[in-house]
Amino acid sequence: MIHRLPTVFVLIALLSGSTSLARDEPLDHKIPPGYVPEEARDEQGLWMELDELERSLNKSALLVRDPDINNYITEIVCRVAGDYCNDFRVYIIRNPGFNASMTATGMMQIWTGLIVRANSTDEIAAVVGHEIAHYTRLHSLQRLRDIKAKATAGSVFDLAVILATGYNTPLGQMTAMISILSFNREQETEADLLGTRMLAEASYNPHASYKVWQRIIAEEEAAVVKRRKPSMFAQTHPASDARASYLESLVTSTYGDDDAEEVTDEKLLNILNTHYLFLMEDQLDTNRFGRTKELLERHHSIGVEPSLVYFFYGEMFRQRDEEGDKQLAMDAYRHSIEVGTAPPDAYKNLGYLHLKSGDNVAAQVEFRKYLEADPAADDRAMIEFYLEE
Amino acid sequence: MTKRILLLAASFFMLTGCVTGYTLVEPGPHSIDNLTVNANSGWNLVPGAGSGDRKNAQRWTRDGLLLDRMVFIPAVPDGEPLAVSRAKDAAMPVFHKDMLPNEIEELLESTIVKFFGEGQAAVSTSNLRPHRFGENSGVMFDINAVVTESPMYKGVVGAFIASDELYIMWYIGADPYYYDKHLSDADAIIKSATLASLN
Repeated sequence: MIHRLPTVFVLIALLSGSTSLARDEPLDHKIPPGYVPEEARDEQGLWMELDELERSLNKSALLVRDPDINNYITEIVCRVAGDYCNDFRVYIIRNPGFNASMTATGMMQIWTGLIVRANSTDEIAAVVGHEIAHYTRLHSLQRLRDIKAKATAGSVFDLAVILATGYNTPLGQMTAMISILSFNREQETEADLLGTRMLAEASYNPHASYKVWQRIIAEEEAAVVKRRKPSMFAQTHPASDARASYLESLVTSTYGDDDAEEVTDEKLLNILNTHYLFLMEDQLDTNRFGRTKELLERHHSIGVEPSLVYFFYGEMFRQRDEEGDKQLAMDAYRHSIEVGTAPPDAYKNLGYLHLKSGDNVAAQVEFRKYLEADPAADDRAMIEFYLEE
Repeated sequence: MTKRILLLAASFFMLTGCVTGYTLVEPGPHSIDNLTVNANSGWNLVPGAGSGDRKNAQRWTRDGLLLDRMVFIPAVPDGEPLAVSRAKDAAMPVFHKDMLPNEIEELLESTIVKFFGEGQAAVSTSNLRPHRFGENSGVMFDINAVVTESPMYKGVVGAFIASDELYIMWYIGADPYYYDKHLSDADAIIKSATLASLN
């Protein structure tokens, strides 16, 4: 039995050590614009499945079909993609999380949570560049082939162990899984590096590539309920702090310090101001108040319409309902009303807070203002109930 | 021969796995904890607490849970969620005994978002209106859920607070068709809700 052990170690080494090739290859696009697979059957099969997925996505009720948002994102995609622009179909998904994805066929998904978290159009472009790099480096196909090869090798290894020792262990499959995840992380790093280059070539600020990760870190630090982190071996992506760190080093050494003048990003602000209510209501429904507060502070600093930001401060404090939050919420609603065109709900929710404090007269004043501001309010019956009390 | 026995045994277990023990809800008064509703015919009580349900909650359906369901959650104490989650990072919203109607709407919105999976659904409410449930003042409102890879859902909700505990019940159905199909019956059941006498 002992003489068979070296074979076992060789197999483990083969399984776990087969992922460090990509770094040594020149980091450039692997396919030309307009690429369509013609020979490889596994790739053609992958494309057929993804086409089916795209047909299904096209019918999703969570697709944001608003032309303003779609044109805004598509413009960014085309500017970063350059000659590859026509390879992509962009789908904006109504999801308050931070994410974007790309398939081998060029189906790009952008979650609304990314728009809410960006401090500038450059930061959205940074994420877009990362996704385009996945596409032009054929990462999906490589991943598919990697999984197939390693799962097979893992099974053969486990079989060999059974024959050699009589013990049935999933060691081969486990090693294959760790190796597959490591390969994923390597692809993510590749996409970060190539994406940043594309970002700079499209005349976006390359420093946005790490700032977007610094903001994710800041949001996580502000979170009351932290998201569970997968173990080091189970991570499919490099950790946010590692990404921010290596991208900052790379960008600073390649392009110099960030001396770009802080200017108002009118395009992003226009999208946020126009669609703020639904974007932030979705965020608020996650019940994650630390994160929401962090986003509001950010929006305030980049110049989102103050009456909207203060309204959501009011919503956040009122729903969080910790010691002192009622007063903070009332102040925020009042501020929202004072500084601009507050949403009618600012009056209503201020009224409800007065009601909670036992000040029915003040509540009724606000409720009347609410019905004046929104005569067609769908909760008129409820408000009139309180006005008649 | 052995193969045939194994196949028969497998078929038996597969078949018994399909029998989940739904029971017919008899028309008339029906108690869920200390909440009483007046059931009309044709509803099936789903056995046991579903994943995430509070222990004393009940679910009814007519055409199957994915197409329509009524949910009754009685006596939610102050500081507790409408549903339970095993995930420690779920950030489930909780009921507070001083909640006003608008906050009960928000509580349910956020709970349903968590139920479908954060980011997997966009939930909105409308038409908040007062309603009296026996001796208790309460509210009713409508709900709309857009869910990824699912039909759209519409629903109606009734809720009231008694003795610092929340009683909430709702009906949701796939839209179009199933929501409208059972709406008037479900609405009548929700409106009939009262607390059983404590004597």
